[in-house]
Amino acid sequence: IPLIYINIILTFTISLLKILIYHSHLISSLLYLKKIILSLFIITTLTTLNTHSLLTNIIPITILIFTTYKTTINLTLLISISNTYNLNYIHNLNLLQY
Amino acid sequence: MLSLALGTMITITSNHWVTAWAGLEINTLAIIPLISKSHHPRAIEAATKYFLTQATASALMLFSSMTNAWSSGQWDITQLTNPPSCLLLTAAIAIKLGLTPFHFWFPEVLQGSSLTTALLLSTAMKFPPTTILLLTSHSLNPTLLSTMAIMSIALGGWMGLNQTQTRKILAFSSISHLGWMTIIITYNPKLTLLTFYLYSLMTTSIFLSMNSTNTLKLSTLMTSWTKAPMLNTTLMLTLLSLAGLPPLTGFLPKWLIIQELTKQEMTTTATIISMLSLLGLFFYLRLTYCSTITLPPNSSNKMKQWSIKKPVNTLTPTL
Repeated sequence: IPLIYINIILTFTISLLKILIYHSHLISSLLYLKKIILSLFIITTLTTLNTHSLLTNIIPITILIFTTYKTTINLTLLISISNTYNLNYIHNLNLLQY
Repeated sequence: MLSLALGTMITITSNHWVTAWAGLEINTLAIIPLISKSHHPRAIEAATKYFLTQATASALMLFSSMTNAWSSGQWDITQLTNPPSCLLLTAAIAIKLGLTPFHFWFPEVLQGSSLTTALLLSTAMKFPPTTILLLTSHSLNPTLLSTMAIMSIALGGWMGLNQTQTRKILAFSSISHLGWMTIIITYNPKLTLLTFYLYSLMTTSIFLSMNSTNTLKLSTLMTSWTKAPMLNTTLMLTLLSLAGLPPLTGFLPKWLIIQELTKQEMTTTATIISMLSLLGLFFYLRLTYCSTITLPPNSSNKMKQWSIKKPVNTLTPTL
């Protein structure tokens, strides 16, 4: 049913826009990154389950593996940033302008 | 570092989109601890900026491959039939490489990382996305690519004019070189490979020579002649070859690209590109001026430092 696809593509685009136009915290951009990849994961699982091809079943699992890897590094970087500052704001990332 | 090599190998030898994406992710994951190795807040900030941009770019790439798979039913890299997925792919790879209008992360990330990791970032990390571009070059949108390339050459020249930090200067030079590479990719992809190889050679020599004398600012370049005089002269030659002056090897890709563009009846773009590379020439000349042609006002004795990893590099610039 294409309506489901349209819905998930909409979540993808909206979360992409949310990353590009960030509010104030850095965690929010990371959250929307996660949401992007989750939507992609759902699309892949739907396509692989509808077309009953056994070869493409690996794709969603591998995506999940790499996303877990990425999110761990996300959070470690977040922790290291919050060690230097007390807050999580994006305006604090201006050390490298000069 | 091994995982970097692994990641690049995975993307280069891939014919399925997911393997390419996986290799790129492995690359970003491997480089981030390298960037943030010195626990300096600038380095960590550079790592986060790099990570954010690259993660969005790889997600975009996955999305483009997915739309392509949905519309055409196969995951082959060379068979991009869906036009919006082609557009998304070019945008994603432009973010990954640092083309305009997505170049904003690149100078800051290079500035925040140490010289050797900056070298890795600007040469080795550019290699897998360029291979993906090469694999899909027959189905990409030439107008978008050429506009991005011209803008990146312009921006690389203009924004490099006001810089005093050498890493940022090299960042802008790499942006302009990427512009040169992408402008020819739809017409003759072998030339992009050629420019990439020569560009990576030249930038490795520059980075390594700067690493041995530890010059991070223009002012330290002026006193670098005391440490290793031979290195300074070769640095000057490599800088001029990066600029693209005729008797040096950096001129070769520019010449061939201009020739290919005129064959494709794009003479106006060729003239615009060559004019804009003059902007880059200015700050290359300023670097050479600071490093070799002038002497500092106060005399300094020969300081014996950094007697490691230097003589590698007097050979590579003479290529």
